[in-house]
Amino acid sequence: MKALAFLTRTRNGRSFDWTDWLSYAYLAMGLFLMFGPVLWLVLSSFKTEAALNEFPPSLFPYGQKSVSVPGEEKMKPVFRVTLPDGSTKELAELRRIGLTSTLVDPARPDDYVRVNVKDREPVREFKLATENYTDLSGKMSFGTYLWNSVFITVIATILTLLFNSMAAFALSKYKFSGRTAVFLLILGTLMVPPAIVLVPNFLVISEMGMLNSLWGVIWPAIATPTGVFLLRQYMLTIPDELLEAARMDHASEWQIYWRIVMPLAAPALAVLAIFSVMWRWNDFLWPLIVLSKNEKFTLQLALNAFQGDLVTQWNYLLAMTVITLLPITIVFAFLQKYITQGIASAGVK
Amino acid sequence: MASLQLKNVIKDFGSTRVIRGVDLEVKDGEFVVFVGPSGCGKSTLLRMICGLEDISSGDLVIDGARANDIRAADRGLAMVFQSYALYPHMTVYQNMAFGLENTGVAKDVIKTKVGAAAKLLRLDALLDRKPTQLSGGQRQRVAIGRSIVREPKIFLFDEPLSNLDAELRVSMRGEITGLHRRLGATMIYVTHDQVEAMTMADKIVVLRAGQIEQIGTPLDLYNRPDNKFVAGFIGSPQMNFVPVTTGVGDTIITEYGASFALKTERKLPSGTTLTFGVRPEHLTLAGRETSLALPITITGVEQLGGHSLIYGTLPNDGPRITAHVAGQVNTKIGESATVYAPPAACHLFESDDAAKAVR
Repeated sequence: MKALAFLTRTRNGRSFDWTDWLSYAYLAMGLFLMFGPVLWLVLSSFKTEAALNEFPPSLFPYGQKSVSVPGEEKMKPVFRVTLPDGSTKELAELRRIGLTSTLVDPARPDDYVRVNVKDREPVREFKLATENYTDLSGKMSFGTYLWNSVFITVIATILTLLFNSMAAFALSKYKFSGRTAVFLLILGTLMVPPAIVLVPNFLVISEMGMLNSLWGVIWPAIATPTGVFLLRQYMLTIPDELLEAARMDHASEWQIYWRIVMPLAAPALAVLAIFSVMWRWNDFLWPLIVLSKNEKFTLQLALNAFQGDLVTQWNYLLAMTVITLLPITIVFAFLQKYITQGIASAGVK
Repeated sequence: MASLQLKNVIKDFGSTRVIRGVDLEVKDGEFVVFVGPSGCGKSTLLRMICGLEDISSGDLVIDGARANDIRAADRGLAMVFQSYALYPHMTVYQNMAFGLENTGVAKDVIKTKVGAAAKLLRLDALLDRKPTQLSGGQRQRVAIGRSIVREPKIFLFDEPLSNLDAELRVSMRGEITGLHRRLGATMIYVTHDQVEAMTMADKIVVLRAGQIEQIGTPLDLYNRPDNKFVAGFIGSPQMNFVPVTTGVGDTIITEYGASFALKTERKLPSGTTLTFGVRPEHLTLAGRETSLALPITITGVEQLGGHSLIYGTLPNDGPRITAHVAGQVNTKIGESATVYAPPAACHLFESDDAAKAVR
């Protein structure tokens, strides 16, 4: 009830004004544009391969109804048949030869009916092709890809938080000559397009022998100027007096960082963690370059590899895409409050 | 418990000298208040003592040993910050225990010490709360408690009451002086509020522009200010100042012609320009012939019941005069009146703020 009241709020609180209609139309269009493709993806991932290739396409996953006929091993498709006497009946098709189809009523398996194929129409019903998902594990080493993706995402995020927060701590709380220069240098790297450093990065990783290793994906991704900037801006708001009080309390510089600054920077760390998870999970180009062995693939690479040169099994590809989307969606759904806060405070994308 | 000496201490920030040679001795168990207008360097001086700022030159001596190069944590001092600087993510107990944990004190010892301090400051019931759940006065007490558990040689307070409302400030003032009596500890307290300084201090140090103007007990400063600056800073409302010149003999002549016999400590040539000072509370509406009569035009009257404040100006748009008189008065704005300054309460200063008082 509350949700309904919320969704039908009006400008003056009483009747619908024309501005209300416009607003709702605008919002509905936005919802359709943003959410339509995702919805279609999810619904399509439950279609059978045959249903996917149907034209015109349907929004919901429909499949042809099938029944078991006594004396037959396989399930038989059901058709609505117009009999010669003009009546219609739902019958199971046993076989089709040329233009003639042989059908039978499952209740009376001995009564054959032969009709022209033009006189029958498939009976369709709502049917979720869950086998798209259940078959995935058998089709390919899905578990390995998932593990690779999770490993890279989790480890890279932890290391990103650790290293970026240390840099931000030094840049925000210590006074040393060249501090501004170092900070500007870090910010300056934001202006270098990633494509330019791709080759140098590759050479470094290659020289260090980290090709085809998950660490080769993790290490270059850790130091992010965005992260340092975001955390530094937040740490500037932590009063120096707290650090001085801790210093008077015999805390070492590490303890000040670990026990005072880190807990207090938690909101900014949460934002960076969300960003880092999204970046690493969705990362495609760099893993594609570093990882060439199938067993080292991340989910994104596997998705790409699944799209064959000649044949693409769309039903499986769509199911896998949905699974790949899920973690990010969950992260977003639960932490969106922090994301908006973080974007507002740091002004980054 | 400890004593502290500052020997010609200087602090430079770049090319700006903010502390210009301070000499001071704080005895064991003394409550010393640094007071001065904002920007006078009193907080900087305190931070130099506790080790949060380097000392550019001069010596800091704690208990007879030079402490310039000892780390802040190891000087054995405790600081209560203006903003309290409580760790927001820790409970009251954790806040108070943090310093002890860092020095590796055993858990049960920490518990006893924190418990004792909490009891002393009536924080027993609040130990599990976070600072945000406390009132200003309670936060203040936690900040003090955090200092107490460390059993420092000297307590340092940096304007600790400035964030509290007026009523709470008065009661916390009493609590801090009570604490000083009970612990018998040496305390150094920084404030810009001369009322706090007067009510709490054993010894007041008046600072201005990085220099000590006068050191003394509260009543010393009130009764015998060394110079015009101290005279103006201590006491509320501020002391009245009237420019005068010396006449023949022991007389002084005000700008509007009234003359008045007043003995000076040193003999001054006639015609010297001086500043005559008298506190508002020493002015009376009815005076004797020996008093200096100041004819004023009343510009404002504040009736406070028990006493009244009369504001006026001397003739020819002269200096403003404030008189604090007992009881209730029957004067109105725009009227003329005469206020009298008895000779015993009169001060004479050289016109320069910092120059030695003449009387």
